[in-house]
Amino acid sequence: MASLSEEVLLVVKKVRQKKQDGTLYLMAERVAWGPEGKDRFTISHLYADIRCQKISPDGKAKVQLQLVLHTGESTTFHFSNESTALKDREAAKELLQQLLPKFKKKANKELEEKNRMLQEDPVLFQLYKDLVVSQVITAEEFWANRLGGINNTDSSVSNNKQEVGISGAFLADVRPQTDGCNGLIYNLTADIIESIFRTYPAVKQKYTENVPHNLTEKLFWTSFFQSQYFHRDRINTGSQDIFSECAKQDEKGLKSMVVQGVKNPLIDLLSLEDKSLDEGYGLNTPTPSTSNSHKSVKDSSNSAIIKRFNHHSAMVLAAGSRKGDTHAEQASETSSTDGNSRDSDFFQPPVKKVKLQEAIQYEDLRRENGPKTVALNLKKSDRYAHGPVPLQSQQYTTSQDIINSVNFIQHEMANYKPNLTQVLSSTSASSAIAALSPGGVLMHGGAQQAINQMIPSEVQGELKHLYAAAGELLRHFWSCFPVNTPFLEEKVIKMKSNLEKFQLTKLRPFQEKIQRQYLSANLTGHLEEMFQKAYGKFQIWQNRRMMRKT
Amino acid sequence: MFAFSAEDEVNLLVIVVDVNPIWWGQQAQRDTEFTLSKCIDAVMVLGNSHMAMSRTNKLCIIASHCQDSHFLYPCKSWRGGDGRDEDTSSSGDGKYELLSVANNLMADEIRSVMLKSKVKGNSTDTMLAGSLAKALCCILLHQPLFQCVLVSVQVIKAADDCALQYMNFMNVIFAAQKQNILIDACVLDADSGLLQQACDITGGLYLKIPQKVALAQYLLWVFLPDSEQRSQLMLPPPAHVDYRAACFCHRNLIEIGYVCSVCLSIFCNFSPICTTCE
Repeated sequence: MASLSEEVLLVVKKVRQKKQDGTLYLMAERVAWGPEGKDRFTISHLYADIRCQKISPDGKAKVQLQLVLHTGESTTFHFSNESTALKDREAAKELLQQLLPKFKKKANKELEEKNRMLQEDPVLFQLYKDLVVSQVITAEEFWANRLGGINNTDSSVSNNKQEVGISGAFLADVRPQTDGCNGLIYNLTADIIESIFRTYPAVKQKYTENVPHNLTEKLFWTSFFQSQYFHRDRINTGSQDIFSECAKQDEKGLKSMVVQGVKNPLIDLLSLEDKSLDEGYGLNTPTPSTSNSHKSVKDSSNSAIIKRFNHHSAMVLAAGSRKGDTHAEQASETSSTDGNSRDSDFFQPPVKKVKLQEAIQYEDLRRENGPKTVALNLKKSDRYAHGPVPLQSQQYTTSQDIINSVNFIQHEMANYKPNLTQVLSSTSASSAIAALSPGGVLMHGGAQQAINQMIPSEVQGELKHLYAAAGELLRHFWSCFPVNTPFLEEKVIKMKSNLEKFQLTKLRPFQEKIQRQYLSANLTGHLEEMFQKAYGKFQIWQNRRMMRKT
Repeated sequence: MFAFSAEDEVNLLVIVVDVNPIWWGQQAQRDTEFTLSKCIDAVMVLGNSHMAMSRTNKLCIIASHCQDSHFLYPCKSWRGGDGRDEDTSSSGDGKYELLSVANNLMADEIRSVMLKSKVKGNSTDTMLAGSLAKALCCILLHQPLFQCVLVSVQVIKAADDCALQYMNFMNVIFAAQKQNILIDACVLDADSGLLQQACDITGGLYLKIPQKVALAQYLLWVFLPDSEQRSQLMLPPPAHVDYRAACFCHRNLIEIGYVCSVCLSIFCNFSPICTTCE
């Protein structure tokens, strides 16, 4: 045979495939079939490639097993051994059933992941279509970068699987079916069993105690359903089956739950009452009923059902939140030390505060927490209050001075009578006016402000022209530096002489004209300064040139 | 009762007079020509002129003392109405009655203020910030009723600045700026940096007068016109205000300093740890 490095788990002879006789081999990682008498395998499929197996129904003549691959193609094996066909097929099927799941996960997961990624990201999908389908790059390259994290995140993915909750009606789903002769069939699936165990831990306890030593599973469940425990009205609790203890435990549990109360302080259960308005719409006082016994029976049966329902609901909720219980407690603890409600911490229990917060605020409407800030700690804050007045040695007034001054002023003002005709002497008035007139002592700053009003507009226009011309000349002059070429040298010298000419012919007359008009304003000072700078630069350059030449 | 047409613009002038008795007492001893009486006379002249400019002008005078501020006019003890005393109301020279009443009231009040003054040794500074705050309150009290369009506060300052009132002072100044209230300052003795800032920020005029004797002339020339009229007149140009900050360690005015990035305190020398906040 071909080099069998793998372990052979099962060999089935007389298996036909496509009308050929052969042998089916099931190995550690794959299933293979080879025709009779030949050495090699014609068909070999890895378990990872097999999506599922199918078997022909029992009634059919041909005993067949079909393997469906992920790619969609299928292979059919026909077990043609007369006597043992069914057994062979069952054996093969069982083995495959055990082996396939192991390999299934890996392949499936990868493929699933790929599919998911392609579905979630349309861009990626488009990319895939463009590159891989049109065979620009192979699929392996495409997925090489993207699937890197798949195998690593296996465990985390399985951890993030959500807990499946318990349906509240799981017991009702167990609908009994009549089987024709006065009996009932309850169909129990694994899910329902699990729900029962999670909701009623007492039942689980009984199960673990009794099965499989005392009762078989079937018997256990039969007695469960037969017991009064299961049925609705279990008034008499005196029966002797194993579930009467459970009933007692349930009673105890219910009582403790009632005592514990509801954690939500915003709900007040005690104010609810199950009362119907009798005749009179509540105005009539309820007559002390003489027929107490009547009511008691109805009441008790009603209350038994109600109690049972309440208990069932409570157990379902408790089972569902059992895992999350610790989390909720922690959350309430941390939120009670939240900075939002620090002041009422001492007065209200933390749970109530959490409930109140939940009722008042929506978490996603809350403003995001601002950045953590450090408090400002000022040691000498009175420094800020001191104005920008330099600390000078104030004139020290002795207390004697103070007393003297105060006495003096009081003496003076005691006989004060307004003498409005003698407020101002004409000399002082005229000197004040002089000081306030333009050019006076107090008016010095004013002249510069009004310079554009004091100069006539033609003069201003001329000044503008001068500035434009001078600016152009100076621009040419300064652009010659650094002087690298002989052309620039010539230009520099020429520009300098131009500047001088300009100064002589245009600037000087302008200055004289202004002076003649007795305007003390210095309009050309800036222009002069610019020219002087240019001359200075020229001088420096010339000196350097001389020094270089010599 | 108050029926104002649209043209009736109420022009409210509040005059804050510094009546620091210590400074005025020393001043009287230095120079007998210009005393507190003369100063009050000049203020009265300004007030009368302001009220005479228009029927709808209003006046308010506050005296700023070492301990507190007093309203000289209008005051609570106004004996107006029917029971008018003949002597006080008619001054015999045909003066507008409002003016004579106002003058008499002012004189009475200032007399009582100065006579009551008992100065303690540690508080020798004028309560200028407080007086300004009172002035602002008085203005805001009248504003909804009178629709005051032009409001100005005239400060006549005698004594020196008090550094401790800096914070309050700046708050008052910024409040005045927000309310479009002008603060004018007429300084008699020493330049006041705070008042310079106040005038600069609110758009008023600051003037340090060279001759105290001619105070009335300066007041009438420079400060009587309201802000609209001032734009048409040639008035003393605004002084250059020294906005330099003072360092926290020596209180020197500095141009370039080091500022702590946490507490914003200013130092003249670099130091790795700020002494205010560390």
